[in-house]
Amino acid sequence: MRGLWKYISPFAPDQSGAAAVLYGLGGLVVVCDAGGCAGNICGFDEPRWFTGAPSAAFSAGLRDMDAILGRDDRLVDKLCAAAAQIAAPFAAIIGTPVPAVIATDYQALRRLAEKRLSLPVVTIETKGTERYDTGASMAYEGLCRRFARKELARQRGRLNVLGALPLDTGCTEYTFLQEFLRHRGWQDVRIFGTHGLTDYETAGAAEKNLVLAPAGLAAARYLEEAFGTPYVVAYPVLPKVEKLPHDVTGKRILIVHQQVLANEVRRHLKGADVTVATWFLLQADLAQDGDCHLQEEDDFIQLADNDRFDIIIGDEFLRRALPHFHGTFIDLPHFAVSGRCCAYD
Amino acid sequence: MMTKQQAYSISAADLAARGRDQIPAELLSSTQLIYNSPAALAFNSPGARGFGVKRAGLSIPGSVMLLIGPGCCGRNTTILSAEGGYGDRFFFYVLDETDIVTGRHLYKIPRAVEEILDVLPQAPSAVVLCLTCVDALLGTDMERVCRKAEARVHLPVVPCYMYALTREGRRPPMVAVRQMVYSLLKPQPRHRREANLLGFFSPLQDDCELYGYLQQLGIQTVREIGRCRTMEDYHQLSRANFNLVLHPEARLAAQDFEKNLHIPSIELTRIYETDRLSRQYQALAQALGGTIDDRAEREATEDLVRRVGQRWHGTTVAVGEMLNGNAFELALTLARAGLTVKEIYGNVTPQDFVWIKALAALAPETKIYCNLGPSMLYYDRSTGAADLTLGADAAWYHPHSVHVTWDEDVQPFGYAGTRALFSALDRALSGRSS
Repeated sequence: MRGLWKYISPFAPDQSGAAAVLYGLGGLVVVCDAGGCAGNICGFDEPRWFTGAPSAAFSAGLRDMDAILGRDDRLVDKLCAAAAQIAAPFAAIIGTPVPAVIATDYQALRRLAEKRLSLPVVTIETKGTERYDTGASMAYEGLCRRFARKELARQRGRLNVLGALPLDTGCTEYTFLQEFLRHRGWQDVRIFGTHGLTDYETAGAAEKNLVLAPAGLAAARYLEEAFGTPYVVAYPVLPKVEKLPHDVTGKRILIVHQQVLANEVRRHLKGADVTVATWFLLQADLAQDGDCHLQEEDDFIQLADNDRFDIIIGDEFLRRALPHFHGTFIDLPHFAVSGRCCAYD
Repeated sequence: MMTKQQAYSISAADLAARGRDQIPAELLSSTQLIYNSPAALAFNSPGARGFGVKRAGLSIPGSVMLLIGPGCCGRNTTILSAEGGYGDRFFFYVLDETDIVTGRHLYKIPRAVEEILDVLPQAPSAVVLCLTCVDALLGTDMERVCRKAEARVHLPVVPCYMYALTREGRRPPMVAVRQMVYSLLKPQPRHRREANLLGFFSPLQDDCELYGYLQQLGIQTVREIGRCRTMEDYHQLSRANFNLVLHPEARLAAQDFEKNLHIPSIELTRIYETDRLSRQYQALAQALGGTIDDRAEREATEDLVRRVGQRWHGTTVAVGEMLNGNAFELALTLARAGLTVKEIYGNVTPQDFVWIKALAALAPETKIYCNLGPSMLYYDRSTGAADLTLGADAAWYHPHSVHVTWDEDVQPFGYAGTRALFSALDRALSGRSS
């Protein structure tokens, strides 16, 4: 049945993706919810919450009468009170199902908040019904549109990296990636989210943008359009994939992950008949024939709960849904699925 | 705008002087944005730790849960399923925008329940339909949906309200779930030598003296939902002559018992101070028309508290609220034992002033912080202000101290609880010394 998930728990939602992009930028981030959404973001979908520097992410603490009466002014009061205690260069309001149901006017909320705070305010209209990469994509693009300064000189050797979120990569620290890219001639590697808002403000100065996940594509396209910055979609350093057979010639293989990482894994599987499937954003121009988007649990069961594939590579949490698959299942963690990190060399 | 960049706190003396009607706004979570520090996560995401609505809702033995909401509402259930052994008991109906706009999901739920039963190796005892803020705002009549589902599957189907929006209302989610878990009980003759303990989803510690005291008062059988393994066990709960309510969030459940099953209740409070415990037991004995001789338990407990207090006199402690007890009452208990309570992280309510005033007299400099306040972003975790922390949240604030999290599922209660607490503190501090 459409909507019914019997084996797999829900994936990281859009508001988690948006919050992940905002993490570490130094802004005052308010999740417009009653409490549970922010709790899930911080407690489950943001591994840096426990290991990194504290981030000013808050729950609006909405109560029933706030929602019923649409008391946006109370939210702005709280935001102003917090801003009086916390030094932040901007504020962000992230949507959840509650404001979606009561049809909050985010533009009006933004204007109201900006007027009282004297700070730039960005609103990200996530709804809790989409998946993390949709929210992350909205946040990346929204931040670039709002903060990327015009009239900056192009810096040769500067590479912006978009899409480096734990939800997509399964890791929280990117020294290995920076080193890898520096060895390939990029002197100034900016992994968005690791150096505050400055990277967004100066985004237009990059020589090139590297997109690690579909979540970063909309922002890269905007930067290309606004600043003429070309972009490349690639996943230069793959996580370790245990137990992958050396010779996969002739094997039928299914890879289930975010599309860019999955495509990179496919590139390494020479001679195999590889299909990429994803529960998340599937870009037609990055897909090959036969690749597919999964919306429902039933879609996955129909595709893979049989012997159509010899090998499935994906997060092992998905395996529960495949009692009739008799081939080899190779675990490739996906944080947005299971909350598990990946290992990188 | 210049900001102080430090966590707000107030001394126990100053707070007591202001009184219960003038609690500073900085201590009230309802007037501020809520900070989700790792210390305070259990407040905002209770399902992730301990008993939140989802886990508590499955206290009905052999039941399964269908969570109906946008994907985000079921997200942390992943970890609960994986680590808690609930993997086969959670199912999800993931609402999309069309469901929310049209309400079509309400027509599909009975069929969804049927599909769930098809994949289960054996029929569950009941199906719990867990609803979220979305259905709260839509005003869904889930009782009706449950009846339709029941008619289809011939099993009890009950609603469970995970309405975070109502957290500060009369019937917040953890109150509602305590009502729900007893809602399948049917009236039957009461047995005068049987009683229930209400309030917790897991049992009291086995060595709790309350069981023995109830026996002294002629109660031969004491039941708790956390000890029910089968539906047969569960249905025995409606045989009780009376209920003891051990957690204030079970008051409405106790009222339901009285109204639907004609079982009255008596409320006890979980406290750690022996003098108050003794008075509470004497009041219980009086209410039940008997006597409780608690002298031996009290003496043994006070002896242990005295010895541990003397041994660790002056040890500095930070007390949190993510634990089995009231942060302020626990702080007072420790201060009376001779430990130096430096900091408390809590959500101050007017009811806490009974403890805060006593603490102000004993340890006026104790700093009180609002665990959820935005300024806690600036709490300096490197101060090493406490030798010992009590509570999972306090442990976060003082990573290098000795920790007693005191948040296990099995519930401490009574003199046995106090002894267990002081023994745990003693063990933890001795471990550090050695």
